[in-house]
Amino acid sequence: MTRKFLTLAAGALMLGMSSMSALAAGKTIAVSWKTFQEERWKTDEAAIKAVVEAAGNTYVSTDAQGSAQKQAADIEGLISQKVDVIMVVAFDSDAILPSFKAASDAGVKMLSYDVLVEDPNALYVTFDNVGVGRIIAQEIQKVKPEGNYAFIKGDKGDPNATFLFQGMMEVLKEALDSGKVKNVCETFTDGWKPDNAQKNMEQCLTSTGNKVDAVLAENDGMASGVVAALEAQGMVGIPVGGQDGDLAAINRVALGTQTVSVWKNARELGKVAAEAANAIADGTDPTKIAGVGKFSGGAKGVEVNAILLAPTPITKANVSAAIDAGHITKDQACAGVAAGAVPGC
Amino acid sequence: MSKQQNSSANPALTDDGPIRRFLNATEIDTRMIGMIVALFAIWCAFDIASGILRGNFGGLLGGSFLTPRNLWTLLNQTASIAVMTTGMVLIIVMRQIDLSVGSMLSLVAVAGGVLQVYQLGPSLGVGHPAIWVLAIIAILALGTAIGAFNGYLTAYAQIPSFIVTLGGLIAYSGVAFLLAKGETVAPMDKTFKVLGGTIPASWIGPFWTWTLSFAACALIVFAIVNGRRQRVRFKFPLRPVWAEVTLAALGSIAVLGAAAVVNSYAWPPKLAENYAKENNITIPPGVEDKAGDAICMAGDAVVRCLEGLTLGTGYAAPVLIAFAIGAIMSFIATRTRFGRYVYAVGGNPEAANLAGINTRWLTVKVFALMGFLVGVSAIISSARLDAATNALGALNELYVIAAAVIGGTSLAGGVGTIYGAILGALLMQSIQSGMGLLNLPAAFQNIVVGTVLVIAVWLDQIYRRNVK
Repeated sequence: MTRKFLTLAAGALMLGMSSMSALAAGKTIAVSWKTFQEERWKTDEAAIKAVVEAAGNTYVSTDAQGSAQKQAADIEGLISQKVDVIMVVAFDSDAILPSFKAASDAGVKMLSYDVLVEDPNALYVTFDNVGVGRIIAQEIQKVKPEGNYAFIKGDKGDPNATFLFQGMMEVLKEALDSGKVKNVCETFTDGWKPDNAQKNMEQCLTSTGNKVDAVLAENDGMASGVVAALEAQGMVGIPVGGQDGDLAAINRVALGTQTVSVWKNARELGKVAAEAANAIADGTDPTKIAGVGKFSGGAKGVEVNAILLAPTPITKANVSAAIDAGHITKDQACAGVAAGAVPGC
Repeated sequence: MSKQQNSSANPALTDDGPIRRFLNATEIDTRMIGMIVALFAIWCAFDIASGILRGNFGGLLGGSFLTPRNLWTLLNQTASIAVMTTGMVLIIVMRQIDLSVGSMLSLVAVAGGVLQVYQLGPSLGVGHPAIWVLAIIAILALGTAIGAFNGYLTAYAQIPSFIVTLGGLIAYSGVAFLLAKGETVAPMDKTFKVLGGTIPASWIGPFWTWTLSFAACALIVFAIVNGRRQRVRFKFPLRPVWAEVTLAALGSIAVLGAAAVVNSYAWPPKLAENYAKENNITIPPGVEDKAGDAICMAGDAVVRCLEGLTLGTGYAAPVLIAFAIGAIMSFIATRTRFGRYVYAVGGNPEAANLAGINTRWLTVKVFALMGFLVGVSAIISSARLDAATNALGALNELYVIAAAVIGGTSLAGGVGTIYGAILGALLMQSIQSGMGLLNLPAAFQNIVVGTVLVIAVWLDQIYRRNVK
């Protein structure tokens, strides 16, 4: 009886192993999305799916619908389906840690996508968020090296709001210390809401008597609120920075009411992450993948392997970059801009 | 009740002080006085605090809160919530609730944006005069339809309004997201933007501000005279003549004072300069003074100065809309059969039903009215931001309900005033704007607004108990 069982088990094991080796190219790569409530994730998904399927692997996905519990259950489900790699866009980067551990224990390779999960066994693929803040500050400083700067920060509960601000401060530290640049307003904006940003900017202008020379907003939605507030004071045209590559923001850049929108090309991020996932699924050591370095800038300071992509600043000079990449149509980008006034329009 | 009869029968026996006699004679709502006092106290506190923390910008008490500019901005910032809260009063008075107003606002604003920018713009040509008219009609119609749908589910399908609108809160923002695929829709039509109050075209200027204000004063006097005539006709007790005169005077002073404040906020110098150049208005010569609101010529350059060309802004479009809605809604609530029915149903739904009021149809109408007002707010807020996004109305339902409750609307139904709710909205926005001036973090603002809400209701409870 026992022997029979053992033979069966061995046979099953053999079968399993042989099927695994037969599927050398046919790995399964799963993505656990935190939500599909934002448009951008569809872009990421399309890019990931294309790369995964081009390599002969299978793409599966789950949607946590903005719930940490659902995401944990999703990952459990994926582990029991015996997928090879799980890419996770974490909804709550701390609450998901046990799921990461369980997956690693079960031999599933983990990858944290866009949102940092501080698990040393997971590869972190993202845009350099501190870098985004740095670029916003650099572009603003290029056009306005001295003066009063206002900072419209994102939601206080989002670590990215702090990363972005850190980046800005790295660039501006010297100018702030020497007094060339003065920080006259600095506010968090509830929920990253544009209308809240507009009110914050209005209060900033009132409380400084309009003595603001440049505004660094942490995203484009809030930049739209800032521009509306500036317009009411006839101050449109002073440097305004933002990020996201919002279609309306690229149009504002072409019109000259916004100086820079730092664009994180989601297609690019999806492509790089999917390539990394393919490689890991084939057994490549994460540290051997091109572009991988060490990152320990998270809240707990855990060192993880990471790929940090550099984002693209969209300024008047390279509006065409977003058009050429198919991110925005020429009509949308150049609405209201005289033909030839801006390169690409 | 019996006490009242006693005192009116034997006025000599009452030992009321002069204040109480004044309040009784004028029939002024003491709650309202309390709110106005609280409002002024908050304003003064912010003005002093902003003066200490951020420097003097010409505020009455040395800060930047009690300046024409900040008060003018405050009114604009309040308009959208104030409009919605007038509808919420009627909903709550009817013992219902509408949690979906924020999501509904996102939905109709995004729908209006998509219509303007992606549909009408390309087909009629950007800037075509029909665009803003069609957009407004579509937004108001859509808002009314969604409101009526909420009302229908509540009244005829008999699903509690809390559940219907909680579902709406979740679902409508999803629809808004799908409509624009999560993108920010911008920029709005040029004429549509006038309704947002951020561009000179939406400022009516001192002349029209004074004209409208005097008209409003005339209306106040007319209302008081007419009210007295009605009381005589139905043999109701009359207010003493001195009380009527005092009321008319107080009302007129408030109206004219507000007009004086908004008129003394001058156009930002840059805009004034552009306007003067476009319209060939000669800018007088003068001496530069950075603190001034006027513009003048110093040599070849246009500079700021104390005397020269000054353009007063007057009221901006959103504020006028909010005033008009407030007046109309007050009239509807207190002077129409529809309004009285709403209060009757709120006071005792079964009695109202037995008395022959079609409560179901009334519920649909009240929710439809709420939807219409959400449409108005959607127009104001998307025009003000010059963009429509599905984040636009998020959490507005909480502010709208909080404003109504701070303004004295009872969640038990049957009690609530439109002007109280508008004051409630102004009070909350004052706190937020004031803390913005002090550059305090948003977390702080949330704590204070939440605390104020609870304290306001607590004070209200004490007040009501003592009145009884």
